[in-house]
Amino acid sequence: MASLKPLDIYKLLPKKNCKECGDPTCLTFAMKLAGGKAQPDQCPYLDENAKAILGASTRPPIQKVKIGVGERSFTLGEEMVQYRHEKTFIHEPGIMTAIPDTMPGDRIKEITTDVRDYVLTRIGTDLRLNGIAIRCESGSPGEFSRAVEAVESVADLPEVLMSTDPVCMEAGLGVSGNYRPLIHAATHENYQEMCRLAKKFSCPLAIRADTLDSLADLSSKCATEGVSNLLLDLTSPSLHEVLNRTTAVRQHAVTRQTPALGYPVFLDCAQPGLEDAFLVTGVAKFGSVLVCNPLSQPVRKALLVLRQNIYTDPQKPIQITPGLYRIGSPGKDAPVLLSVNFSLTFFTLQGYLEASRVPSLMLVVDTEGLSVLTAVASGKLQEAMVKEAIAKFDLGNAVSHRKLIIPGYAAPLSGRIEDATGWKVLVGPRDAADIAEFLLQEWKP
Amino acid sequence: MGISTISDWTGQIGELVIGATRSEGGTRSRTLKVGGEKDLNGIGNAPLGYPAVVAYEIADDPDLWPAVARHAVGDASSDPAAWARFAEAEIRPDLIRLYCTSTRRRGFSDCAAIRKTVEEVLQATSLPISIEGSNDPAIDSEVYQKIGEAAAGERILLGTAEAGRYRSVAAAAMAYGHSIIAQSPIDINLAKQLNILLREIGIPRDRIAIDPYTGALGYGFEYSYSVMERIRTAALKGDEDLAMPMISSAVDSLTIKEVREAEGEDADRIAVAWELYAMLPAYLAGAAIVSVRHPETVPLIRDACSSLFQVHPGGGE
Ligand code: B12
Ligand code: SF4
Repeated sequence: MASLKPLDIYKLLPKKNCKECGDPTCLTFAMKLAGGKAQPDQCPYLDENAKAILGASTRPPIQKVKIGVGERSFTLGEEMVQYRHEKTFIHEPGIMTAIPDTMPGDRIKEITTDVRDYVLTRIGTDLRLNGIAIRCESGSPGEFSRAVEAVESVADLPEVLMSTDPVCMEAGLGVSGNYRPLIHAATHENYQEMCRLAKKFSCPLAIRADTLDSLADLSSKCATEGVSNLLLDLTSPSLHEVLNRTTAVRQHAVTRQTPALGYPVFLDCAQPGLEDAFLVTGVAKFGSVLVCNPLSQPVRKALLVLRQNIYTDPQKPIQITPGLYRIGSPGKDAPVLLSVNFSLTFFTLQGYLEASRVPSLMLVVDTEGLSVLTAVASGKLQEAMVKEAIAKFDLGNAVSHRKLIIPGYAAPLSGRIEDATGWKVLVGPRDAADIAEFLLQEWKP
Repeated sequence: MGISTISDWTGQIGELVIGATRSEGGTRSRTLKVGGEKDLNGIGNAPLGYPAVVAYEIADDPDLWPAVARHAVGDASSDPAAWARFAEAEIRPDLIRLYCTSTRRRGFSDCAAIRKTVEEVLQATSLPISIEGSNDPAIDSEVYQKIGEAAAGERILLGTAEAGRYRSVAAAAMAYGHSIIAQSPIDINLAKQLNILLREIGIPRDRIAIDPYTGALGYGFEYSYSVMERIRTAALKGDEDLAMPMISSAVDSLTIKEVREAEGEDADRIAVAWELYAMLPAYLAGAAIVSVRHPETVPLIRDACSSLFQVHPGGGE
């Protein structure tokens, strides 16, 4: 809720403090509403006026739009805030690899296959490119539909069909129109025709105009035509201009000053010499569909990780459940490695342990999602919890020895862990990359 | 209507000057100014403030430096003066940032060598410079005194002050007219506290750059990004204890798993991508100085930042 502060909301509440909303007082409920952590209808006693005000300001100010069908389809919009530290950003932008319709069919299929199959697994999550944008450069409906067919023959990925010519667009939609591609783009000149197509095929529509005012005007016109699943194309050759437009659009949307701009943002990032810069700006600054050329391996990795970072809630580290985790099939004499429940730490260590080919056990304790070094620095990793975890996960029965390998960064705690648990502590390397060597050389049950 | 960005900030980022020319008592060919913004970087029709400063990092003891960054400059890395000269001629950063990594070896005691290194680097390049000293309280006092003195009059940016150890850096900066980098671990309150401590011992506001600590992409960057945005917006709302320009450095980027495990050409490509994809968002989040170690990242980050900052010739519609 961008515009209302907790006290403003509190003034609208019945002030019965009856707890029926699940909160102890109306004031705490107001604070939750302000933070987007509760819904107004949880209070049964709101009057109509309060309902109207709170309802309007808790409804996401940016239209929800879905692109594609099936497993790889994705949703955009529904964002609530200007800065991710205010709440979190919700729907990651879709990265759409562009191909011109003049490209040979085989090459189109190759690129589509790559986009379909590429996956980067990080901290237990599969990161992927999202789909294909087909640019009508030929100006020919036949060529365009042939290119769309080539894409469709390989994968049912979400698509952007790019042409301002309604005839070409209709030809493309004739191939993939039932799979909810994004139509790009409607302008003041062609919007009636494009709206007709968007309605006929129930597809989302990207709109383009020279200025934000003109764009707001166009979005209202499209809404009048009955199309409200819109994206705003804010592309400009000037990155400065792009940044200012995306910022302005997000501001006008979340403050509800200009509801006609309350739609997700489309950016064509395939700009000569500056593609990386456009992509980064798009990810960090409010882009929802980012079109780009086929990306090199290093760039796609960096881009996907940046997107993952920006769309992670900064207030909640990604955690895994504390417990005893097995690598391979550890016997009674397998080494036990103490670690923390920050997912990045867990998956990093797990990766290196698997690569070492030494069957082992990971004893993961609850540091509330803090990394080893951070947990040690803040006192969140303590001997008592290690003792508790050993008992709780029945480590004594899992192995026959009484030795615990601790992370190198936890070395200052080694004495205390030994005293508290009665287990002999071995201080491991600081860097998990050295774990294989350490186990081979130092580990004896 | 004229829909544009909404700017209702009241604060302004303070200015910081790095480097001194001959007329200012130093020997640099130019000075660098950062700060002065009244909004986020690049926002506004004619944005206030200055273009991003792109720093290139070198080390006096290259064995303690990421291999990929060393290999990219070949022999030049064997001697800090040669490295600095090479950087100015071939890499063309705005600022050279020398890390005295030699001080991080166990049992380090050769402070005279540090002095000599600083003098040679200042001779070798006319660019403004920034110097990172030791990070061990036992030797800090002597190391910073030597660096400060060797660079007297050059108005360098001296790093790094932290909450637990800032007196030596601050003393050297005050004695010899330098500015300092104030680093806190990804936390807006700690950043503010440190600035207050520095103010209390007499460091003027216009001699501090905030380093909020930048975790590598995928390794803490998600926190760093928001902490930078929070520091900047707090300053724009009027918090003067946070209204200093920020420096963001991709320090950890070249030691992460993805870079370490890549080989040959691939290692360079991934290193550059990892630096660029962290430093550009850092600029968007409010950093004024972005600092990298791979020479090929320098022109890329510079082009990207200047196209964000300026109205494109012929563009802008
Ligand atoms: C991101 C980050 C944060 C995030 C938290 C992220 C998280 N979920 O933990 C935030 C912003 C919240 C944060 C907070 C703090 N942080 Co912090 N943070 C970092 C940063 C940039 C990265 C940490 C990280 O993600 N590392 C990656 C993971 C994978 O590393 P890891 O868990 O250590 O695991 C590795 C090894 O330990 C090993 N390993 C893991 N398990 C095991 C097990 C065995 C048996 C073995 C052998 C090896 C092993 O494998 C992994 C890969 O090598 C580091 C800087 C850095 N370069 O490390 C600072 C850093 C850790 N933070 C620091 C500090 C001081 C803090 C705070 C105390 C500051 C404060 N606000 O008071 C707080 C503490 C938190 C709190 N609740 O109060 C300091 C620690 C200083 C020190 N040397 O003690 C650091 C080093 C920054 C700095 N240079 O000042 N931090
Ligand atoms: S249910 Fe409504 S009236 Fe009752 S405590 Fe909650 S907010 Fe107050």
